[in-house]
Amino acid sequence: MARITHGIACSHIPVLGYAFDHGKEGEDYFRPAFEGFEWTRKFMKEEKPDVIVLVYNDHASAFDMKIIPTFAIGCGESYPPADEGFGARPVPPVEGHADLAWHIAQSLILDEFDMTIINEMKVDHGLTVPLSMMYGHVDTWPVKVIPLAVNVVTYPPPSGNRCWALGEAIARAVSSFGEDLKVQVWGTGGMSHQLQGPRAGLINTEWDNMFLDRLIGDSQDLRQIPHIEYLRETGSEGIEMVMWLIMRGALGRSTRALHRHYHVPVSNTALGHLVLEPVDGSVPPSPTLEQSNAAAQTLVA
Amino acid sequence: MSDIHQYLAEFDDIPGTRVYTAARARQGYHLNQFAMSLMKEQNRKRFHADESAYLDEWPITPEQKQAVLERDYNRLLDLGGNIYFLAKVFSSDGLSFVQAVSTMTGMSVDDYQAMMNAGGRSPEGVRSIRDGN
Repeated sequence: MARITHGIACSHIPVLGYAFDHGKEGEDYFRPAFEGFEWTRKFMKEEKPDVIVLVYNDHASAFDMKIIPTFAIGCGESYPPADEGFGARPVPPVEGHADLAWHIAQSLILDEFDMTIINEMKVDHGLTVPLSMMYGHVDTWPVKVIPLAVNVVTYPPPSGNRCWALGEAIARAVSSFGEDLKVQVWGTGGMSHQLQGPRAGLINTEWDNMFLDRLIGDSQDLRQIPHIEYLRETGSEGIEMVMWLIMRGALGRSTRALHRHYHVPVSNTALGHLVLEPVDGSVPPSPTLEQSNAAAQTLVA
Repeated sequence: MSDIHQYLAEFDDIPGTRVYTAARARQGYHLNQFAMSLMKEQNRKRFHADESAYLDEWPITPEQKQAVLERDYNRLLDLGGNIYFLAKVFSSDGLSFVQAVSTMTGMSVDDYQAMMNAGGRSPEGVRSIRDGN
């Protein structure tokens, strides 16, 4: 059976992609940011996950204002990098895992998460920068990726509690997939940053580290943080951190940290990165009728 | 949160911040869709060749058009622009996020960069207008 082996949290700051693509990783400004990923690159080479469920937000690349899905899952075969206004990043196309993605999509819908299904889209820095951080320069990505896009642009975004519960539902879906696959769940975006208005440039190191602390262990306090607290404490774009809670929810009851990295600033943003391992990966049973029904389950198996 | 009205009202209590609510999304719909069009190289070329003519192809207000021409990003936020969409405009101008974002703060790029290098803007005093904290 497929199993969730680790969770990774990581900011997806566009300038890191720029520095990476232009050979600036060793420059004084960028070195401290990149050094924090060296541990993880070694770890990924040893660990070799088969699939990443990569939670991110699209930054007006694949989705414009015409259609705004709250939760959307990529069920396609591959996803080219997007041109975000200055040409596409020179990174390989991202390969999907359509079998597992469709299985997760169906399971989530029966679990009463009404997902939008995407068969074709381009993926922007929100998805490709974390891949570059974790895998470095590669000709092809050595892993399949299931993009899971969350609306954190147009209000209201989903609540932290809903994100956590979605993570638990993803864990249930993965555990009922018949193939033996090592699956990681990544939560990206954040940490504190504000890119707009006179308050731009806000950074809250203390709050960010509280957030990192509580992703580790068995606390579920983070589920209850309201949107207004993210906005006030971490800046208007700090709301992206709700996506980390999908990753955390998928890891089950308790976690331990294998690696932690925090650096200020990268561009306008506080960089946070955490590698988590489930200690007790159990999640609550599905509360829904269909997801608990054997006949319905045979349809998605 | 007691209801949607209170949820939304709280957003106006954050200093120097425009939360991208449904009201702003409606007001800025065509402005943001214009910005989105700059994802394509041929559109960027046409826009930079004659900005005014390109903007006239979009059903945006005269105020929105003027604010684009002036690259007045705070004004564009007030008129319903969203920063991730507006990023297409400043990216096509060759500006980084730091360069563009600093223009909204009343600081020079160098001063803004220095503030970021020193750890960024503290949340102290800019959490709430009402509470002054």
